[in-house]
Amino acid sequence: MDIGALGVYMCLFLGLFFEVFLLISFLENKPGKKTAFKPKNYPATTILVPCWNKAKTLGATIESLLALEYPKEKLSILIIDDGSIDDTYEAAQKFAHNPQVRILQKKNEGSKYSALNFGIANSEGELVGCLDADSFVAPDALLEVVKRFENEPDIMAVTPAMRVHHPKNLLELMQAVEYVFGIFCRKMFDNLSSLTVIPGPFSIYKREVFTKIGKFRKAHHTEDMEMAFRMHANGLRIANAHTAIVSTKVPTSLGALVRQRVRWSRGFLENARDYSYMFFNPRYGNLGFMALPLGLAAFLAGIYSAIFLVYSFLSAFITNVLDMVVTGIPPQMPGLPRFEWFYMDTSMMTFLVFTVLALTLVTIFIGKRIAQTKIPIHSLVSYFALFGFIAPVWLARAIWDTVLAKETGWLT
Amino acid sequence: MQWQRYILAFAITAAIFATAFYIADFIDNRRIADIREIQEAISIDLLSSETQFELLGSLDCELLGEHPVLSEELNSLAERLSYTENNLGNDNEQVLLLKKQYSLLQIKDYLLMQEISRKCGTKSVSILYFYSNEEGSCENCGRMGEVLTYLRQTYPDLRVYSFDYNLDLGALQTLVALRKIQPELPALIISNRSPVYGFKDLEETEALIPELKTLATTTPQEE
Repeated sequence: MDIGALGVYMCLFLGLFFEVFLLISFLENKPGKKTAFKPKNYPATTILVPCWNKAKTLGATIESLLALEYPKEKLSILIIDDGSIDDTYEAAQKFAHNPQVRILQKKNEGSKYSALNFGIANSEGELVGCLDADSFVAPDALLEVVKRFENEPDIMAVTPAMRVHHPKNLLELMQAVEYVFGIFCRKMFDNLSSLTVIPGPFSIYKREVFTKIGKFRKAHHTEDMEMAFRMHANGLRIANAHTAIVSTKVPTSLGALVRQRVRWSRGFLENARDYSYMFFNPRYGNLGFMALPLGLAAFLAGIYSAIFLVYSFLSAFITNVLDMVVTGIPPQMPGLPRFEWFYMDTSMMTFLVFTVLALTLVTIFIGKRIAQTKIPIHSLVSYFALFGFIAPVWLARAIWDTVLAKETGWLT
Repeated sequence: MQWQRYILAFAITAAIFATAFYIADFIDNRRIADIREIQEAISIDLLSSETQFELLGSLDCELLGEHPVLSEELNSLAERLSYTENNLGNDNEQVLLLKKQYSLLQIKDYLLMQEISRKCGTKSVSILYFYSNEEGSCENCGRMGEVLTYLRQTYPDLRVYSFDYNLDLGALQTLVALRKIQPELPALIISNRSPVYGFKDLEETEALIPELKTLATTTPQEE
């Protein structure tokens, strides 16, 4: 066996181990269904809506917040116009008459964290949440989050289940499946107390988090990831409310998607480096032994597999062309594939790849059930056809930028 | 932290790997069994022709016209053997054994065809092709093989017998010695003429076989 293939087997082993580990976690602690119980208390909650050039979607975001099934006197919404140069402020003014809504403006400082800290400083609620201005909450989302806080008082932050808002084009459909897979992973990481990010769309914190460990940091433009790392470092628990549904708009073009994912991926690398003492540190449990090392390994495995595939394809192509030139055999139309069992690829690697894909499919369907959502077949096709080709691009770019310490801005 | 979960996940993953290995190995063995069955069938056909010859004292040219030759079976066997060799490696013991049997069948078929040509007056065009799979010993053997495969597909009546020069097989080494083939591979013996050494592209190879003009052609895609 050549070294290239050996590396692929190692990647497959890691991938399978990760999926099996999460499935064991699922079987040990299956996520419960949504209940009709109401919380005993309704803590005062402020939802921060930081926005930069979100005139088109801000209105629907605020409407969804105003439609939350929560006592109006307990829920306030703080729109923070972070130096927008479009009509965001005008769009926000449409809600100025609503007593639940406050609108503040600030100068843009190049990253989201400053807008969040500005909002935290200008709010009073016992719970402080954030909702990106291109995301929309289900009416009972806050109730579900509050129930999670109430049931387990040691929880300091709760993340929701995120879906893609009305996916239409191929990239959005691909991301729709990816997000459903993420719903499964997030819930299982909750089971393992190892959530590594508290995402922007509708994650809710107890205010005391900020008094204990401080507010958001720039953190390589991934303040939500750094906050999760810092909470773990200080023993503050993060949980997931899989019944709290929020849908979010996702990049519709390849360029925007790659820019967003480069920021996320680079954020993971840089934050993992900043908190490298957590790796394989028994004090941080599954986070140190599974989530962080496997996250990093997945990074490298994704790039390695892509390089291996591209190298194999290119070398086969070049060999064929050279052979054709040297032998003088005229080019021939490729014949139909042979369906004889004898010539089918039944190598060990093929079986393992199919097993990984099958387990991925299983986890996606579990995520679908958890989030009570639908996945059209063309969405699944987009995911399996595109993700493996696109993801290595942003992974490689993130490593490149990290190695060169290239400074980037908040791009999406 | 529950270490049992890690151990269980590791054990299940290892079990999946073991299962994949077992299934792949099982199917590879089925392939080898399939090749062996074809070889046995060819062997019986060859034996039948030889026995027929002994019974009649001469070949029944008419009968051979109706059931001409084993060319297709041998070609199919060659393809399967080549595919299996690529998958399992040319140093796999089972592959080596199958190659030896295949080489013997080719030699027997070659000799039978010589006999048929002589007795029935038919003109067959044959190529004995000697190659090597050993690393660095024959850089262009693969390409020579491609040229010959193309010719065989284009001229179905062209009989190409390919032999691994280094195969440890007495009959093959006797053939090498009889034909005085030097280890300068690839080497070709076209219709019993003197050996030709070195890689030849399609045009050069066609020029070496003027008899091709007498053979019917087909397009490779139709094969």
